[in-house]
Amino acid sequence: MMKKKKKVLGVALAATLAVSLTACTTPSSTDKGSTDKATTTAAATAAGGATAKIDTSEFQTISYVMLGDKPKNGQFEKVMEKLNAILKQKVNAKLEIKWVEWADWQTKYNLLLASGEPVDLITVATDWLDTWQNAQKGAFQPLDKLLPVYAPLTWKEVPPENWAETKYKNQIMLIPEDHYTQWVNHGFLYRGDWAKEFGITSPIKDWKTMETYFQGVKDKKPGVVPWDANGTAAGNIAGYINSYTDAIELPISTGLFGLVYGKSYDEKYKAYSPILDDTFVNFAKMMKDWGDKGFWREDVLNYKGDNRSELEAGKSSVDQHHTQTFLGERIKMDKLQPGSDLQFFPFSATRNNLVSMSITHGGTSIGAKSKHPERALMVYDLIRQDPEVYRLMNYGLEGVQYVVKDGKRYRPDGYDVQRDDFYTDFWGGRIDKNEIPDGNDWVGKGDLYASYDKVKKAYPYGRFVFDKAPVTNELTAITQIVGQMGPAILYGKAGDPVKAVDDFRAKLKAAGFDKLMTEIQKQLDAFKTTVESSK
Amino acid sequence: MEQVIARQRGTDFSSVAIRAFGYLFIGLFALCCLLPFLLVLGTSLTAEKSITLHGYNLWPKEFSTFAYKIVFENPAVIIGSYGVTLGITIVGTTVGLFIVAMTGYSLQRPDFPYRNRISFFIYFTTLFQGGVVPFYLIMTQWLHLKDSYMAVLLPGLMSPFLIIMMKSFVTSIPHAITESAKMDGAGDFKIFTKLILPMTTPALATIGLFIALGYWNEWYNAMLFLSPDMKYRPLQLFLYNVVTSADFIKNSSVSSNVQPRDMPLESMKMATAVVATGPVILFYPMVQKYFIKGITVGAVKG
Repeated sequence: MMKKKKKVLGVALAATLAVSLTACTTPSSTDKGSTDKATTTAAATAAGGATAKIDTSEFQTISYVMLGDKPKNGQFEKVMEKLNAILKQKVNAKLEIKWVEWADWQTKYNLLLASGEPVDLITVATDWLDTWQNAQKGAFQPLDKLLPVYAPLTWKEVPPENWAETKYKNQIMLIPEDHYTQWVNHGFLYRGDWAKEFGITSPIKDWKTMETYFQGVKDKKPGVVPWDANGTAAGNIAGYINSYTDAIELPISTGLFGLVYGKSYDEKYKAYSPILDDTFVNFAKMMKDWGDKGFWREDVLNYKGDNRSELEAGKSSVDQHHTQTFLGERIKMDKLQPGSDLQFFPFSATRNNLVSMSITHGGTSIGAKSKHPERALMVYDLIRQDPEVYRLMNYGLEGVQYVVKDGKRYRPDGYDVQRDDFYTDFWGGRIDKNEIPDGNDWVGKGDLYASYDKVKKAYPYGRFVFDKAPVTNELTAITQIVGQMGPAILYGKAGDPVKAVDDFRAKLKAAGFDKLMTEIQKQLDAFKTTVESSK
Repeated sequence: MEQVIARQRGTDFSSVAIRAFGYLFIGLFALCCLLPFLLVLGTSLTAEKSITLHGYNLWPKEFSTFAYKIVFENPAVIIGSYGVTLGITIVGTTVGLFIVAMTGYSLQRPDFPYRNRISFFIYFTTLFQGGVVPFYLIMTQWLHLKDSYMAVLLPGLMSPFLIIMMKSFVTSIPHAITESAKMDGAGDFKIFTKLILPMTTPALATIGLFIALGYWNEWYNAMLFLSPDMKYRPLQLFLYNVVTSADFIKNSSVSSNVQPRDMPLESMKMATAVVATGPVILFYPMVQKYFIKGITVGAVKG
């Protein structure tokens, strides 16, 4: 009783605090006024004479918040010295990187923004760095007026439809990393040599063929667990839905795995749950079958081993992860298991249901309390657009960190990771045109990317932020059910699959799943209106 | 007569049985406590590949010191971190112990008028706290303690729990002692240092150990307030960073950006644990007897 009271009081207190805090951090009108004024003068000078120069007479230090551990081997300082010499000469400024280390980075990153410390450039991401929540609290400066003047190249490069993706209340909040290709669509990594041995000659594109492969491993490779999965990983359900529907997962967390999707790319504003139709039943049946056949170990639900290391050691025949991982593993496996010919079955291959990564998975914003947003943008424009600066920032010094041969990037002879390693973790505006391809990349990478490019669709939910408030209780209950009942169904350990699915659905319904769906639909409708109005 | 002998023999037997059982039980219990640590030690010296294939082993199947090499990649930094932690622990424990003891003593003196109200305020903070954001704002914006060791030292000095513990311990010393000393002309500070402190050694040892452990294991405040620009940061934060970044690099689900590197993750975690707990294990037996005494005293007085 006492405890409950305490809790209630605590929540109330916390709520008051939160309210007062947001009140503190909303940008004051004076702030906005001053930037507006600054821009108008700058714009005026720009308009006054076509060649009128922006005033850079005062030397400024621009900070840039990056995520990662501060490099310790001394290379970083050497590269920065060179980079800053260029920046001084071109825009009379110096770049200073502030690191947010991986230890409890969410807390630290958000505190940095909440505390109102003056930061100039800051790495943002709408899907993993709470950018919209921070924008809502006024942590960033609107960039609409500054960009054309101070970062003209980037301003022209990013098309209007991509700028639309970066807007909060019709103001640009961040510069997206929209011209950089990276694929994180999931799939199965499997061994091409073994597949061939089992009579699978063409690349695997569906789950039935995958089953043949697993069976082959089971029959012909004693001591190898076909797929040594961890019961706490839910990649298989997301993958199956990706393979056998046109649905696109919504950025709404329901715990272990997502229950709510957009119906399809054409009907992206229609909430849909594949858990409620045959998709899930078929999946559950297949997983029961796979489990019974011993494709994973009996105690899969409690197993915590490292599947990837087992694959590398030849003790498991697949790993379930995304394209970038596959590309890295392919190179590694060629060394560790020569002739293994690691292959990739992207879940999207079955029905070509493939969306690109959100263009705001990486980006850069300017802090609300930044003292020199203009120069910060000029520095950003250089990092992104100037090949020399770009390469210093991303690769380090030519001859020390890399050498270029036939247009490809290699490590120099005698390169030592401990001694020579360099990184800045610049993930806020990499760009394909300034990249030098890595000479050690797998030769098939180009073809794989080309096959994706043929079918890819733009990620539609970059700006969709689900407001949980109206359904907090339902969402908590549902998350719990997913965590409790999910793993057994996912790995075929729940007895009769049809009955297990029925029980699962009944529990979800009792927890208020219908209400959740209605709420999501309502918010999707509202989202549709915003998207269409800002086009 | 025979009966007596029989009974004696019986008592003999049962006492032997009880002893045997006692030794066995305690021995087993000690083993249970020791085994995990030996497992940690063994794993820290095992090659990562062997851990994947065979799991954890008491005796390394494939001996490797690679994990320690990574942890001690930069010996100057780790020695510096040890120094920082040691310094903070020593200064913090000495100052903290003194303040806590003074507060505890004052709070139980019957001639201190507002003692109950003040005790309540101290107790109140255990129930209600501002939360991380206000704490962060006060520390950085008002007190300007960012990148200062004071940010780690100050918050650990006093804790309501320890003050209450001290207070209840000092209650066992009769007030008459204070009064008689006063009559002999001793000042309050003299009474405290010459009479009260010597009589409270078990409590001081216990509280001192709590404070010292707190400082030794402290990483959260250091993580919040000491930026990577500082040359040396507390040991636990340093080690925590080594492990989290390796974890992140290996399983970067958040971002595809990080290049996976070869890190001996499991063995490294264990090596970290060994490095972090080593000194505490050496320190523990020395204060253990006070520790037990202190705990029991606190328990009776509630």
